Amino acid sequence: MSNQLIADFLYICAGVAMTLKLLLGSILVGLSLGVLFAIARYRNICRGVIKGIVSVIRGTPSILQLSIVYFVIPQVYSCKLDVITTGIIAFGINSSAYVSEILRAGIESLPKGQFEAAYSLGIPPFYMWKDIILPQVAANVFPAIVNETVTLLKETALVATIGGADIMRRSQIIAASRYEYLTPLCVAGLVYYLLVLVLEFAGREIEKRQRPYAKNP
Amino acid sequence: MLRIRNVSKSFSGTKVLDDISLDIEKSSIVGLAGPSGSGKSTMLRCLQKIESPDSGAIDYDCNVGFMFQDFQLFPHMTVLQNLVYAPALKARDSKGKYTTKAMAMLKDLGIESKASEYPCTLSGGQKQRVALARSLMTDPDTLLCDEPTSGLDVATITDVITLLRGVNQLGVTIIVASHDLDFLTAISDRIILLRDGKIVTEISPQQHDDPVGYLSTYYN
Repeated sequence: MSNQLIADFLYICAGVAMTLKLLLGSILVGLSLGVLFAIARYRNICRGVIKGIVSVIRGTPSILQLSIVYFVIPQVYSCKLDVITTGIIAFGINSSAYVSEILRAGIESLPKGQFEAAYSLGIPPFYMWKDIILPQVAANVFPAIVNETVTLLKETALVATIGGADIMRRSQIIAASRYEYLTPLCVAGLVYYLLVLVLEFAGREIEKRQRPYAKNP
Repeated sequence: MLRIRNVSKSFSGTKVLDDISLDIEKSSIVGLAGPSGSGKSTMLRCLQKIESPDSGAIDYDCNVGFMFQDFQLFPHMTVLQNLVYAPALKARDSKGKYTTKAMAMLKDLGIESKASEYPCTLSGGQKQRVALARSLMTDPDTLLCDEPTSGLDVATITDVITLLRGVNQLGVTIIVASHDLDFLTAISDRIILLRDGKIVTEISPQQHDDPVGYLSTYYN
């Protein structure tokens, strides 16, 4: 009996791998697109289009976006997407909308003089963003990005709806096979909670180590 | 020579610069005086091409450096990085050559010991020196200074005068905007007074009995 319990527990925990793959992939996609969206919006490039995309992404349920990527894209382009790729595309694009809004606020909160100083010193735009603006923005919005990562981690549980064997799906499988819901669902909850605690701890530690400089330039 | 011809600039319907024409001789120190909102800063920003004039022309073929009112040092870089970053990037060169130059400059300014500090740890006067050093790193022929004395105490203002004079003696043209008439009188060869975006008067403080008193009459 107890061996059975341990086996079930390990089976659920094995879902951590998929959850973390989804999280990592989505963060990378989300940050990359989010940075591009935020900079483009600040520089008035395709501003209307990006605003529209962000608005639609934020205004529709994630589960719907996931379903569109999983069911509609393969139908239209006659291709097959596996669960992890689907999840990374859907959650990554979803996250990019939120990340771009966080970054936009961060960029707008920097003194305009920082841009002007970079311009006056003849720093080309690419280097201005890479070395002057984004490092400052990153430090300022870091807590908000950690928060977005935590949200994203929990959101990945939606891949259970398209059959991804993550923590959530595995706990459902155990629950259904044993006709017993309390324990497997609690185990899943505990694993998610522990992952969130680890993320928050890492976030706090990184925050402590960064920016030896204070705010006023 | 820096030539400004019929320059006008408006912000949302308000004329900030109104048909300004001005010649500035090489290696001179020109002060821009005038009440708040008279167009001093906008004039400097047009010269530096941070703003573009609505009409008129600004002609010069020199390398221009800019010192901001609130310094605008990069807070995430050390003092040395603030100095070295832009010139090394421009020259696509390793930072070594510029590090030597920056350290020499910091030594001249008496803040050599601050090279590896972050700007937030510096006093106002020290930040001013770093800002000056940073704008001089690219060897400008013309230096534009926006309110270089704001927020500084009397002793530091005297230092700023000495520093800018020293820079001027190397042949650098200096255009300085300030509301501080004593400072402008002490440093400038020529003071141009702006009001409502127009040049209303111009004096050479050395050839005037009471330049501060005379200029003050335009502030009311």
